[in-house]
Amino acid sequence: MVEPNDHLIEKIKYLIIQRLKLVEMTPEMIETEAPLFGEGLGLDSIDALELVLGLEKEFGVVIPDAEVGKKVFQSVRTMAQFVLEQQGKV
Amino acid sequence: MGRTAFCFPGQLQERPTLEDHHPLREDSHFKEWVAKAYHQTKFNLLNFSFEEESEDQFNLKLQISTYLLSMVFFYRLRSAGWVPDFLAEHSMGIYAALAASEAISFEDGLFITESIGRLLEREGSLRRGAMASIIGLSLEEVQKICRQLDGYHLFIANYNGSMHYVLSGEEEGVDKAVSLALSRKAISATRLAFNTALHSSSFLSLREEILNLLKDIKFRAPKFPVINHWTVQPLKREEIKDFLSQEIGRPVYWVRCVEKLIQKGVNQFVEVGYESTLTKLIRWINREADAFSTGDHLQR
Repeated sequence: MVEPNDHLIEKIKYLIIQRLKLVEMTPEMIETEAPLFGEGLGLDSIDALELVLGLEKEFGVVIPDAEVGKKVFQSVRTMAQFVLEQQGKV
Repeated sequence: MGRTAFCFPGQLQERPTLEDHHPLREDSHFKEWVAKAYHQTKFNLLNFSFEEESEDQFNLKLQISTYLLSMVFFYRLRSAGWVPDFLAEHSMGIYAALAASEAISFEDGLFITESIGRLLEREGSLRRGAMASIIGLSLEEVQKICRQLDGYHLFIANYNGSMHYVLSGEEEGVDKAVSLALSRKAISATRLAFNTALHSSSFLSLREEILNLLKDIKFRAPKFPVINHWTVQPLKREEIKDFLSQEIGRPVYWVRCVEKLIQKGVNQFVEVGYESTLTKLIRWINREADAFSTGDHLQR
């Protein structure tokens, strides 16, 4: 399993804040390991669509379907891991 | 100077959590309107139940809760000095939008919400239907799914965004549509709480019954323009009855409505409700628009 560095983790947190317009949040307020949906950050499927688009625009990586999305959007760390894995394939 | 639209959401999908320490419980508007609603309907928002319950009526309770919470948030906004230029509504948000515009009274809005809610409960037991939200597929792809499942009477009930649609129809067909959507790479496809095929043409058969329910209600000209999402023009007083009688049998064109409001100079959208579904849909339709939900604002 590839381990993302702090810089990438920070970039993912910025992406979440910017795409979802969480204007009153800062990257420090988002826990790297916390669940993004439900009890964690409280995101929902409409937010997921924004994040899919954000990952594509910012990192050029594509979430192909709901099954992959479910795994990728577990936490900031799993998002960062997915970005690294996909970029490594190019 | 930009203009402001107040947006009234459709039915909540989950019971609102108004636990003991919830800030709304101390609000004077909340106390007043929840008490009035209890007096009129015997529904208690605080414990999400009717005084006497013989059956679950989950959707009916959600509908009354949605109406009440929207009205409480509306009165809070008005007390704080907010004045909307336009009102927009999604699905059953029309009842609160009309009461907020003073086209009908709070009591009449509550009466309509409860009466149509009971009609839908009855329909749900007579001819069960379902609804599902499909996110991440284009309109063409969603239409293709409906065509492929021809025979299950599937309709696009809500046009919520370029990649966000709600389907309505027979339960088995809706379940099949969810599976098909997921197999075609939707980001999300899930059943909603409804037990009826709301916003499908099968509900146009209730038109006369709804008109009969409305026969004693006095409609006034809306004090704030309420946008009709079919014509994207403000609803006129004389059109309201007819709109209400067809509303549950025709689709919700939310994208069209938001785009029209932006054309009219609206750059601030306030979702007058407990959740932030419309806020997120507006964010998708136009990222430049400033949108927030009163429910989120309260919890911050």
